[in-house]
Amino acid sequence: MLYRCIQAENLKLKHSVIYLAFLVIPIIPAIMGTFNYMQNLELLKSGWYSLWTQITLFYASFFYAPLIGIYCSYTWRLEHTHNNWNTFMSMPVSIVSSYLAKLVCIMKVTVLTQLWISILFFIGGKMCGLPGIFSPEIILWLLRGTLAAVTIASLQLLLSMLIRNFAIPIGIALFGSIAGMFMTNADLGNFWPYSLMMLGMNSNQNEDVLSSFAGTASFFASVILFFLLFFGCAVWWLRTKDVRS
Amino acid sequence: MKMLTALKAEQMKHRRRMLLLLPAALILFEFLWALWSLEPRKASDLAQGYLSSFYLFPILNSLIYPIFLAVLVNRVCDMEIKGDTFKLLYTLQDKKQFYNCKYLMALKYVALSALGSWPIIWVTGRIYGFTDMLEPHMVLQLCLSTFIVSTLLLSIQQVLSLLSSNQILPLVAGLAGSFLSLFSMFFPPAAARLILWGYYGIFGFVWMDWDRSTRISTYYEQNFDWIGLLLFAVVSLIVYFVCRSIALRKEV
Repeated sequence: MLYRCIQAENLKLKHSVIYLAFLVIPIIPAIMGTFNYMQNLELLKSGWYSLWTQITLFYASFFYAPLIGIYCSYTWRLEHTHNNWNTFMSMPVSIVSSYLAKLVCIMKVTVLTQLWISILFFIGGKMCGLPGIFSPEIILWLLRGTLAAVTIASLQLLLSMLIRNFAIPIGIALFGSIAGMFMTNADLGNFWPYSLMMLGMNSNQNEDVLSSFAGTASFFASVILFFLLFFGCAVWWLRTKDVRS
Repeated sequence: MKMLTALKAEQMKHRRRMLLLLPAALILFEFLWALWSLEPRKASDLAQGYLSSFYLFPILNSLIYPIFLAVLVNRVCDMEIKGDTFKLLYTLQDKKQFYNCKYLMALKYVALSALGSWPIIWVTGRIYGFTDMLEPHMVLQLCLSTFIVSTLLLSIQQVLSLLSSNQILPLVAGLAGSFLSLFSMFFPPAAARLILWGYYGIFGFVWMDWDRSTRISTYYEQNFDWIGLLLFAVVSLIVYFVCRSIALRKEV
């Protein structure tokens, strides 16, 4: 049943402009980060790691969560128009499947975004004349960022479901990300979902901030707990509240 | 329909949409950021507290205003798109008037947000006991530049919102604008001037010197680019009319 729901959600996204956001937004930090790296070669001496700090400096701190927010708002927009909530709630499938299908589709686009940023990172590195390919550690950071994206996607999906406006959840994501930067600086990143992206992607850091076992364990625990919390809230809301169409 | 009646009708559409929450959230956020980043750590910080505020705010505005404007305009324009009511509306109301009303409504909240910087800086100064003077001309320059830069971006966001049926394009533009304006601060000055969203920073009039050895930042005032602001206002007016004519050409 879940597979059929995913197919239905994929159909909704077919030829959608969501891919415009996915293509355009990561190009900006990639170009700017590479440019900034080239301008500061005398200060940035750690090769691929230094380029990583420049590309992820603003991407993970401020813009990744709003980007996921755009995906989520777009996914719910169809339900929020006309009387489509009635159709959504009366489909002969479980609420969990319907909701999970949306999450899976968003994760698909998010994984593509991460893949795209890694390709751009590689191209940027080659344009700067960096030797070889980047280290597997950076791939790990990308994977951790993708995992953090699951948590943010579940939160944004919940917000976009509850708030019928397209833009407000995206605004919340931006403010959440900025607040996340402060929380991370105060060593409270694991208690704020939007900080998990910065921690996971090791944004603007040469050394891995999650190198210790305790750090890694608390990061994964936060990802799982926040995901369960937001996913649980969404399913509870869908099961107990009536449609306001 | 008279303009005043049309504005009243527009105001009625916005009842219970809690649009005031948007500038309120922006002002609260700026206040919290100011409290965090302007906290004095040395006696010298107190002596240039207000100056450092005027250095901080254009940077802060570059980051949050493009998204704020995208969200605000989306909220103002989305009801007609969602309800698919253009066809009906245009039989009752002049297209130009409809566009003008939407713009003026959004402008009201932009003006409120831009003016909001003034009490934030004043209250932050009172809390921390800044010892320098809060110069009225600096407040005027900050509020006015923020407002005028926003008028141009508002035109762009409004035309994108009215043309886009799914609203993804204006939001992507806002997000990309935030990105570009932040990065434009690292550009050479001539290149930075090509980024419209970066003008919040370009019209900044307080600069900073950071001494690496003593780790002390010194802020100083530069001459404000009044001619540049005037030119920008003229460009904003032209962009407004161009955007309006593009939006009105849309087939409903």
